[in-house]
Amino acid sequence: MRNLRFCSNGSALCGITLLLSLILPPGVAGAVDVIANKSVAVDSLSLASARAIFGMRQVKWPDGTPIRVFVLPDDHVLHGAVCKERLNIFPYQLRQSWDRLVYSGMAQAPSEAMSEEELLNKVAATPGAIGYVRKVKANDPVKILNVE
Amino acid sequence: MIRSRFSMLNKWRLCLFWGAAFWSLSASAQELAEGVQAHGFLSQSVVRTSDNNVGGNSDDELASDLRELGVNLSWRPNPDWLISGQALARWAGETDEGSLRLDYGFVDRTLYNSGEAQIGVRLGKIKNPYGFFNTTRDVAQTRPGVIMPQSIYLDQVRNFFLAAPGISLYGNADSDQGALSWQVSAMRPEVDDVDLEYMTFLRDLPGKFAGRNSWLGQVMLDRDGGRWRMGVSLGEMNMRYQPGRSPPLDLLGGTHRLPTWVLSVQHNSEDWTYTAEYAQTQVIARDYGSAFEDNTIESGYLQATRRFADSWQGYLRYDVLYLDRDDRNGMQFASPLPGAPPAHSRFAKDWVVGVRRDLDRLALSAEIHHVDGTAWLARVDNPVAGLVRKWDMLLLQAAWRF
Repeated sequence: MRNLRFCSNGSALCGITLLLSLILPPGVAGAVDVIANKSVAVDSLSLASARAIFGMRQVKWPDGTPIRVFVLPDDHVLHGAVCKERLNIFPYQLRQSWDRLVYSGMAQAPSEAMSEEELLNKVAATPGAIGYVRKVKANDPVKILNVE
Repeated sequence: MIRSRFSMLNKWRLCLFWGAAFWSLSASAQELAEGVQAHGFLSQSVVRTSDNNVGGNSDDELASDLRELGVNLSWRPNPDWLISGQALARWAGETDEGSLRLDYGFVDRTLYNSGEAQIGVRLGKIKNPYGFFNTTRDVAQTRPGVIMPQSIYLDQVRNFFLAAPGISLYGNADSDQGALSWQVSAMRPEVDDVDLEYMTFLRDLPGKFAGRNSWLGQVMLDRDGGRWRMGVSLGEMNMRYQPGRSPPLDLLGGTHRLPTWVLSVQHNSEDWTYTAEYAQTQVIARDYGSAFEDNTIESGYLQATRRFADSWQGYLRYDVLYLDRDDRNGMQFASPLPGAPPAHSRFAKDWVVGVRRDLDRLALSAEIHHVDGTAWLARVDNPVAGLVRKWDMLLLQAAWRF
């Protein structure tokens, strides 16, 4: 259902591309971009920082602005892609580590968007926000963060 | 009979009340306001055993007295402060009857933050880090099965080990190779497990235990994005027994020290997770006007979990508990006196096979146990005379979280 919604403005090709991107080794396909609100004064993240941010352990940017993390549902194909390609972690592990933190009171959960479009809009509208989309288009109101 | 019907009715009413409260809360958004979040969990299990009782009268009947319900609130006014608390109600046979309690409630202040490393302090009632799973042991989705591996996460001493008022210093450090996290807590444990006196004195005495200053620490290393997770937990839990009567009706006052450590190792791949944990806990009793021999509880388990398509998973676990490492089969402990606990009440070897399916926030699980030994059965649900050494158990569980 969610895959369909994700591909609704594309074609069957879109699904195949995504499938390929999951099979191919990271870096080859590059099917997902980590994005941030334009107010974020950072252009790139180390892998360690990206994991700490999406793992909800790091909660502020170097200038002190609170980080707001937006994600898609666990079973969304794009969530799987960002975990594997950008964070090099399995989605089920990210879920386990969020649950460990959230149900012991040690951190808050990321905010969940139901679609890629909603996620993009929220990142664009929320200062300090970080998230991910399939590919940023030229006029999208967000910035790309390189994860190195 | 009438009384039991009444208490049954009361239990269902209580259930209904908490259920309704839970649903209405979860219907509102998780994000209640800027920086304020609410989350919760709910689970119901049914259990049937070939012998012995788990979660009520399960012996050849269907018992449904296994239920958990929790709601938490957290508020992050700014990135350096976090205030969080969780209310919990839990039902488990005669050992837990659904009273509402504060599971945790504390203030967290970040003292140092360099981006990839943080150090902070927590003050209040804090969950104790002990092995992989202790801090969220009541949240069904976070457990490695329907019930916790009973060797290390013994339900009889759960409250003692679960959370305590105190202070805790913690830190995280992320590097490209892995993430290191640590926590050290000083606290005074809450000692209200109904089975604790059975565990320590083999009977219910007129007095009661009170927690004394204790500490627990943990270091956890996640290598390569968590493909390998390795941890050590160690500490010393202390309590004092205050007699309620004079001898010979009671013991004299005394103290129990429980130095403890756990080693935890896990390997994660796309389809498989292998988990192993091993623990030793010394039981050192002093005073009491009576000689208690020191002993060491030894426990451990191995589990393999396989993830299949469509959010199905299956798992196999072997779980062992010896209440005395130097008397694993309980033969030295056993006494021919009538009414004395049998040798098999000193160990439990548990084979577990289970399946689980996750449907978004809902998880459905089924689990079969084949157990040799009765060491981890709740004594209040299992009078000594009725204990059977080899027994089987079927558990079904539905769990929901938000």
